[in-house]
Amino acid sequence: MDIHKIMSGYTPGMENILNILHDLQDAHPMNYLPEHTLREVARYLNTTLSSVYGVIGYYTMLSTKPRARHIIRVCQSPVCHLMGTNTVVEALRKHLGVGLNEPTPDGLFWVELSECTGTCEVAPAIMIDREIYGDLSENAIGNIISMIREKSGKVKKEAGH
Amino acid sequence: MGNQISIKIDGKSITTEEGRNLLQVARENGINIPGLCYHRKLTPTGACRLCLCKITDIRGMIASCTIRVKEGMEVIAFDEELEQTRKFLLDYLLSEHNEHYDASYEDEFRELKHRYQLDDPANRKFTPIWQDLGYPVDGTSPVLIYDASKCIKCFRCIKACDEVQGKNVLSFTNRGITSYIIAGFDKWNESECDGCGECIQLCPTGAIVEKPHREKIDLEKIDEKVTTTCPYCGVGCQLELFVSNGRIVRSNGAEGLPPNDGRLCVKGRFGYDFVHSPDRLTTPLIKRNGKFEEASWDEALDLVAGKFSQILDEHGSQALAGYSSAKATNEDNYLFQKFVRLVFGNNNVDYCTRLCHASTVVAMLKSIGDGAGSNSIEDYERADCILVTGNNMIDTHPVTATFAKRGRNRGGKIIVIDPKWTPLVRHADIWLQPRLGTDVALLNGMMHVIIREGLIDEDFISSRVEGGMDTFSQLKELTEKYTPEMAEEITSVPVGLIEEAAILFARSKKSLVATGMGLSQQVIGTNNVFSLLNMLLITGHLGKEGSGINPPRGQNNVQGASDVGTSPLTYPGYIPVGDDDNRRRIAELWGVPYESLSGETGLTTVEIVQAAHKGIIKGMYIMGENPMLTDPNLNHTEEAFRKLDFLVIQDIFQTDTTPYADVILPATSFAEKNGTVVNSDRRVLRVRKAVDPPGEARQDWEIILEIARRMGRNIGEYAGEAAIFDEIAMATPMMAGISHDRIEEKGIQWPCYTKDHPGTPTLFLEGFNTPSGKARIHPVEYIEQEEKPDNDYPFVLNSGRILYQYHTATMSRRNKSLNDFANEAYVLMHPDDAARHELTDRSRVRLVNRRGELETSLRISDEVARGELFMPFHFSESPVNKLTRDNLDPHSRIPPYKFSVCRVESLQYVSD
Repeated sequence: MDIHKIMSGYTPGMENILNILHDLQDAHPMNYLPEHTLREVARYLNTTLSSVYGVIGYYTMLSTKPRARHIIRVCQSPVCHLMGTNTVVEALRKHLGVGLNEPTPDGLFWVELSECTGTCEVAPAIMIDREIYGDLSENAIGNIISMIREKSGKVKKEAGH
Repeated sequence: MGNQISIKIDGKSITTEEGRNLLQVARENGINIPGLCYHRKLTPTGACRLCLCKITDIRGMIASCTIRVKEGMEVIAFDEELEQTRKFLLDYLLSEHNEHYDASYEDEFRELKHRYQLDDPANRKFTPIWQDLGYPVDGTSPVLIYDASKCIKCFRCIKACDEVQGKNVLSFTNRGITSYIIAGFDKWNESECDGCGECIQLCPTGAIVEKPHREKIDLEKIDEKVTTTCPYCGVGCQLELFVSNGRIVRSNGAEGLPPNDGRLCVKGRFGYDFVHSPDRLTTPLIKRNGKFEEASWDEALDLVAGKFSQILDEHGSQALAGYSSAKATNEDNYLFQKFVRLVFGNNNVDYCTRLCHASTVVAMLKSIGDGAGSNSIEDYERADCILVTGNNMIDTHPVTATFAKRGRNRGGKIIVIDPKWTPLVRHADIWLQPRLGTDVALLNGMMHVIIREGLIDEDFISSRVEGGMDTFSQLKELTEKYTPEMAEEITSVPVGLIEEAAILFARSKKSLVATGMGLSQQVIGTNNVFSLLNMLLITGHLGKEGSGINPPRGQNNVQGASDVGTSPLTYPGYIPVGDDDNRRRIAELWGVPYESLSGETGLTTVEIVQAAHKGIIKGMYIMGENPMLTDPNLNHTEEAFRKLDFLVIQDIFQTDTTPYADVILPATSFAEKNGTVVNSDRRVLRVRKAVDPPGEARQDWEIILEIARRMGRNIGEYAGEAAIFDEIAMATPMMAGISHDRIEEKGIQWPCYTKDHPGTPTLFLEGFNTPSGKARIHPVEYIEQEEKPDNDYPFVLNSGRILYQYHTATMSRRNKSLNDFANEAYVLMHPDDAARHELTDRSRVRLVNRRGELETSLRISDEVARGELFMPFHFSESPVNKLTRDNLDPHSRIPPYKFSVCRVESLQYVSD
C-alpha cells in the first residue's frame, strides 16, 4: 500500500488525522497501523509521535497490533445487549472457532466488541468492516460468514490466475 | 497593562488587572486556594477541580483557575461546603493514587492530603483501587522515570512540554481512569524527548522524577539551594543548585527569574556531574622528562613566574601571549587581560570569541557601533517575524529557542536560512536552504526583491542611516544584478522562496534577526553580517523594540569576556587599544605609567598560533581553553604548540591541549566560583559558589594575581570578587552603574551608566553607537570561495554543534545523562551521495583533504544537501578541525569552520 498516496488525499493538518488513520488502517491487509506508518503520519502532519499515538490509544477502532482481513464489530450498546450481544458472540465463536480479540487461523476474521453502531432498529447488529448487518440470528451469521469467505476465496483465485 | 479593577475574595478587597486568572490573583494575595493542575506558567486546565469557589451571579461551584477577574466580582474561596467538596474530591483522587513517597521531590498532593487530614486511611471514604488499574512505569529515558500510578492526569507535564518548551512531545493514551501520559509510541527513549526536564520541574506529584542521583536526593537533607548561572551556552539561564554533603544533587531552573523563568535544557538540568568528576585536576602538575608530576603550588607558581620572566628578559614582551576563557567569570577575565597588558606588556590576549563571532562583532561595530545583541530574549516571543540564519538554536541555545517557538504559537512567523536542516525548520514558515558559503548572494537577492517591491523604510533610511538615501542608492545599484533568478543560480534556493521570505521579512511590523556561526565562521564572515545588517537597515528593523540583530553567544561568558577587555583590539568597554585618552584613564586606574601600556593592537587567537609556529611567540598562558580541538588546521596548531618554549595551562581537566603544556594549574569550575558573567542579551548575572573546589584547586583570579606577584608585579589587591567587579565598573563605562549588590536578585542589561540607571533592554532606540549616531550601510558583493570542491575532494564539509555535547566536551562528556543521549562522532551525508559512493549507514569512513584526515562513523540523512557534509566538532577522536582551514576573514581574523573540501573513503562495512 502506498502510505503517501493515501495521506496526500488530505491536507496535512491535525483536523484530518482520524480520516488518514482510518484510511491507512483499512488499506492494511491486517487492519492495523504499524509503527513505521505512524512515523510517516507524524512527519506528514508535522507533529510528534505521541500526538498520533495518543489518538490511537483513545479510539478503540484504531489498532497498533495486527488483526485480520475483516474486522467484525459486535455492538454491545444497551439495545443490542438486550437483543442478544452474547448470542451473537457465541454464534461467531461457533462459525469462526475464535473468541474476542483474536484472529481466525486463516487470518480472515477478527471479532471485537464495539460501542453503539447507531443501528438499534435492527438490533442485535454487527459491523463487518464498514458494512452493517442487523436482525441477526445464528443462521444469518453463518450465511454472512460463508458469503464473505466465498468472496475472499474468489478474490484469491482470481488473483491466482 | 489592563484596566485596574477591584474584586472581593472572602470579603477582602483586592485591586488587580482586569482579565487575570482568579486563582493566581487569590494566591498572590495570600488566599491559598488548593489546586494541583494549575501552574502560573501554563494555560488553565480545570482538571483537578480542587480550586472550586463560588462567584456571585454564577450558579454552583466553579474552578477558579478557569475564571478571569472582572470589576466588582465577589468570590467565596472558603466555606464549609467548598472545603467539604474539596476534601471529597481529594479523597476520591487518592483512591487512584500510589502514595509511596521517597522525599526526592516536592509532593503537592501529599501536602494537600495533610491539609485535609486525609493522611490516615481511616478518615477516607474511598478505598484504594490504583493497584488494579495496571498502570505502567516508563523508565526508558536516560534522564527521567514516569510512574503512571503516581500520576493524577493534571496535564501539567504535557503543557510544560508544549506551552513552556514548545516541544509537544507528550500526550496521553487510553481513556478515563486508565489513561496515562506517553512520550512517542509509549516509549520515552524512542520519542522526540530531548531531556530538558521541564515536565519533572512542573509535576506536582512525583509521577515524573529525574533519574540521575535519585538515591542522593533527600529534600529534608538539602544543606543549601544556590542560585547561579548555567555554565553552558550564552543564554545565561538561572539555576538553583541543590547541595547535599558538599555535592550538587539536583539542578532546577530558578522560577521567576529572567532570562529563563525556570526553563532549562538537558545540559543545564543534567550536565553538572563534571563538577564532581574524579578526573578533576586537584594539584599543580609539572612536566619532567616528558611526564607530568604532582607539584606544590609554590613550586609550580615559581616555575611559571620564572619562565615567563626569563622569556621577557631574553626575547622581549612580544614573545608572550595569553588565551583567556569564555567559561571563566568577568572578574577572572578582567584580571587576565590586566595581567597580559601589565606583566607581558603587550595586547596579545584573546579567547574563543575570535573563533565564533569575531566577524559578527566587527561588522556590527562598524555598522551600528555595538557588537552585542540588540534585544532581550523576550523579544523572540514578541517579534512578528524572526529570521534565523546560520543558527541552529534548538541545539545550541535551547532556551532561546523556547521563546521563538512560543512566539510562533502566538502567530509570529519564523524564517530559517540554513544549508543544513535544523530542528527549528519544523517550526518554520519558510526554510531557505542555500549552498554553503553563498549567503551574501542570497541576502543581496532578498534585498533586490525588497527594493523592487517598494518595501524599504525611507523614513528610517533618511533619518537613521549615514548618507541617507544617497548611501542607499549605492546598495540599490549593487543589488540590481542580484535578481532572484541569479540568486537561485548561485544559492540553489528557488526564486519563489526568496521572494516570499524577503517580502515576509520586510512587511512584518517587528522583524528580528538571530544570526549565528553559519554566517560568521566563513572566510567572508564579516561580509555576510554586513549584508544582513544592510537588509535590516533598509527595512528599518533596527533600533526599535522587538526588532534588531542578535548573535547568541556560545558560552556562558563570551559576551562578558569581550566586555571586560579580553581582546587584542580593545580595552574594557570596547575602547580601541590605540585610544590615547582611554589608555591614560586606564593607566591612572591601574596606577601605572601611561607609557607602560602598549598602544599597538595585539595578535588574535589564530595569529598567536601562527606566530608561535614562526617562533615569534615563545611562551603562552592558557586559561580554560582547548585550542587543540577548537583551532582550525589542527596539524599546524600542534606543530606550533610543540615549538613553544613554555606553555602554562590553567583548567579544571586535562584536555586535548594539556599534553603540550609544561605546567598545569588546577582551577575552579562554575560551581566553586563567585563572580559575574554576561549573557547574550547583555545581562550581567551572578555566579555563586555552591561547593568547595576539589583538592588544592584555586580560584582563577587568585592564580593570576599570584603569578604576577611572583614576577615582581603587584597588579592589584582585592578583598574578593565584588571588589574586582567594582574596578571593572570603573574601567568599563557601559557597566559603570553595576555592582554585585545591584544584581543580587536579577541581572541588569548593559549599558548601565550610573547607579540609578535601570539597564537597557533594547539597544539603539535613541541612536546608534557611532560617532554620528547613525548606522552605516556597507554594500558587499558575493565572492566565490577560493576553496572549491574538485575531483579529488568532491565534498564540502560543514561543522557545528549538537544539543547533548558542548564545545570540546571537556565538561559535557563527563555527564552520564548527556552521554546516554549522544556520545559518538559522526558525519552526515545525503542519501543520494551515499548511494553513489556505495556507502552504508553507520559504516566507518575516513575524511581526507590537503590538511589532514580523520576517521568517523557515517550517518545517512537528508538533513544535508547533496555534495555537502556535516560533522559535530565536540569529539576528540574525530577532530573535524584537522580538516578546516586557517585562512582568515580579512576583517575579523575568524577562520572558516563552515567550509572545507574533502573526500570520503570507506573503511569497512558494518553488516546488518
